[in-house]
Amino acid sequence: MEYESVIGLEIHVELNCATKMFCDCPNRPGDEPNQNTCPICLWFPGAIPKFSREALEKASMVCLGLNCQIQERSAFDQKVYYYPDLPKGFQLSQAHRPLARNGWLDITGQDGKTKKLRIHHIHMEEDVAKLVHETEGRTPISLVDFNRAGAPLVEIVTEPDMRSPYDAMEFIRALRTQIRYVGSSDCSMESGTMRVDANISIRPKGTDQMNTKVEVKNMNSIRHLGDAITYEIQRQIACLQGGEPIVLHTRLWDPEKKVTTAMRGKFSGPCVPDPAVAQILVSQAWLNEMQARLPEMPAQKADRFIRQFGLTREEAVMMSAERDLSEYVEAVINHGIKPKTATHWLATQFLPALRERRQTIVDTTVKPDRFAGLLSMLERDEINANAAREVLNQLFERDDSPAELVEKAGVRQISDASALEGLIEKVLVANVSAVADFRNGVSKAMGFLIGQAMQASGGKANPKLIREILTKKLGA
Amino acid sequence: MPSDIFSYREPSPSSRGKDGALSGMKMALQPNMSVRGWPTEAGSMALRRFVALENATVVERLKEAGAILVGSTRMSELGFGLAGDLTASAVSEGHADCALITDTMGESLVAASIAGLWALKPTYGIISRLGLIGLVPSMECYGAVAMKPQDIAPVMKVIAGRDENDFSMPDLAIPDFRLDGKKGNTIKTIAVLKECLDLLSDDEAALFRSGLSRLEQAGFSLQEESMEEFGLFRTVHQVVGSVEASSSAGKYDGVRYGHRASAAKNWNEMYLKSRAESFGMPVKAYLFQGAYFQFENFDAFEDACRIRARLVKAMDDLFTRVDAIAIPTRRKKHPAEKALSVTQVYDAFLLTLAASVTGLPALQVPGVMSDGDFDSGLQLVGRRLSDPHLLSAGARLRR
Repeated sequence: MEYESVIGLEIHVELNCATKMFCDCPNRPGDEPNQNTCPICLWFPGAIPKFSREALEKASMVCLGLNCQIQERSAFDQKVYYYPDLPKGFQLSQAHRPLARNGWLDITGQDGKTKKLRIHHIHMEEDVAKLVHETEGRTPISLVDFNRAGAPLVEIVTEPDMRSPYDAMEFIRALRTQIRYVGSSDCSMESGTMRVDANISIRPKGTDQMNTKVEVKNMNSIRHLGDAITYEIQRQIACLQGGEPIVLHTRLWDPEKKVTTAMRGKFSGPCVPDPAVAQILVSQAWLNEMQARLPEMPAQKADRFIRQFGLTREEAVMMSAERDLSEYVEAVINHGIKPKTATHWLATQFLPALRERRQTIVDTTVKPDRFAGLLSMLERDEINANAAREVLNQLFERDDSPAELVEKAGVRQISDASALEGLIEKVLVANVSAVADFRNGVSKAMGFLIGQAMQASGGKANPKLIREILTKKLGA
Repeated sequence: MPSDIFSYREPSPSSRGKDGALSGMKMALQPNMSVRGWPTEAGSMALRRFVALENATVVERLKEAGAILVGSTRMSELGFGLAGDLTASAVSEGHADCALITDTMGESLVAASIAGLWALKPTYGIISRLGLIGLVPSMECYGAVAMKPQDIAPVMKVIAGRDENDFSMPDLAIPDFRLDGKKGNTIKTIAVLKECLDLLSDDEAALFRSGLSRLEQAGFSLQEESMEEFGLFRTVHQVVGSVEASSSAGKYDGVRYGHRASAAKNWNEMYLKSRAESFGMPVKAYLFQGAYFQFENFDAFEDACRIRARLVKAMDDLFTRVDAIAIPTRRKKHPAEKALSVTQVYDAFLLTLAASVTGLPALQVPGVMSDGDFDSGLQLVGRRLSDPHLLSAGARLRR
């Protein structure tokens, strides 16, 4: 029998707010343990949560970026369960009245067609503390770090619309792009600011039944997400074929062994409305304000790049996938660089150079004006491509302007025909056999002669001009 | 003996506080009201050795107004009921001019009635709860107990008001507690509820009726009214209260403070044993009840929440026809100080639950419903935010 998989995702995204969700402590989980704490996020008796406006704003931007409808009224509940990383006995979460419902994202399916994947709802919740288990030493101990306790999260719950690991991976890529665009999180599975759990079930292909699902956790990259889903689908098919029923449970992905293994039964407690946390009433005016903050999103931006700059769809999609990159390329173009040049040089030279140096577009010293300065010299034939690559490397190391670096390196291109004439004469004299070859119809001799001329100029000659002069002199 | 009344006494209370509205006024608190550096054990082993890190907003305001905080009194476990609570004695025995009592189901009113004192349970939400350690966040508030209403009004004036750190406070216009006699003469018609009379034994009813004549003599007009839902306050309070208690007491695990059981095999057992050893009766039974509704019968909890909303509306409707409701404060055959089971506690507080469930203000007036041997206390429940009007009506009654 042929099976198809039914996949839904639950995605936790840590919002990049300055403070935690219910107190003024810095939202920096990575600091020295228990530095960023107060009676509220230590969950001490008598404390009352103070809901952060910034958390609501950043969460709302996520909802808008994922095409969700923000609800007029939402509220926090006490999600009751006990674990040492949650010593107040409940997590504040929006179980009954989520912030937003009914969203969607488009992906391009494996068949190349656009596929709309729906989002059931998005709710806000606080993160729990972090447990550190010290197993070395005589007595194993468990330590609790409250820096993360109360950190602001949104949880995005999709409809079970995905049918393959590919769909799930594409959805997460699209979601990451949207959330990075609205500026609410960097959504890094590797560093834990985005955690994706997958609910997977299988059914005979062509039916629409919903079978028992299995939840898979602990994937820390998009690739692992795909691998884990692939493995789980195979495991479930093997179960069914072996006559074993699928039971509802949670499994952990083991990235080393590339298998999923069953984990402890998850306790799911009740959710009691919290009278100490005010309900959230969203006014139209506030919603308008949030909508006005929404930047041009990647799909629209790609369309505009095609329209306005004449980029191909592929170039436009690539240049608009990340907001920082899209703003960078646009800034470079606004400095007068041809869109094609800007796009090409960003993709083939600038981005690899950044990666090599482990820099980001935001923190690099090669700001758009400096990069544009370099490219404009290239476009005006003041330097050639080799020189441009060399100077680009120096731009990363030094604060000088591109023009200063070009002067210092002495790579300004010689585009003065009279200056090149003499040089080429010498090359012709020194390479009589190549000249003879060329005249006898060996066309690649021309390339050799150009190379000799370039070398003689110390790489500074304008190769186009050399070819012109050579062609003229050899009477070809 | 003061040492019996207080669980903690401020070693060197200034003879006179700062200059302010409450300069020189001696206040007793309960050890679940956070005062920085004071032991704050809330009458429970679950908070043993817990010391407040910050002042409650109320404490901050009392200090700022010049009140002298003399200490914290022995209290019932987490302020649930009055078993073992000696807070009102701090006032009746002259150690304090005013005491604050955590009021979840009428504790301040009943405690004052037992001690022959006045008490105001204010409108829910006009006083910041920041730093108050209780069990039932949607009902608990600071009740004030004193020898005379004139000592309650200035305290309320100081502690009531918006607190930017308590987001749970509703957006209410805080009433003006400086009412003088004339301006405060707004309470004229007082309801007597048929269904309330039905709950009383013959003795209780007779005492209540005799006291009502005092109301008429003082110029109030009485009006017989009916409120079919009156019998539901007990069930609603118990279901909602126990669920909130179970949820909010979930944090007492004996790890960072509080009693921690020894000799447990693993952490789970350590939590279970610590909690089993920490809570006493009736709180432990109450937490079990709440857990039952949370885990086994959540629908009943949701029903109770809906009925609660209906009760609020029924009371609001009643207040379109009358200015206050008269109810006895306590019952002779059901002493609150001896109530050790959940049923006994609810029997003892049966008559004060309406104000807690609906968040309405209630005033306890001593010396009106008395046969010389037993004073049940007169409870006046008023409109939301009518707190100062209740105080002046009470003063008129005793003039």
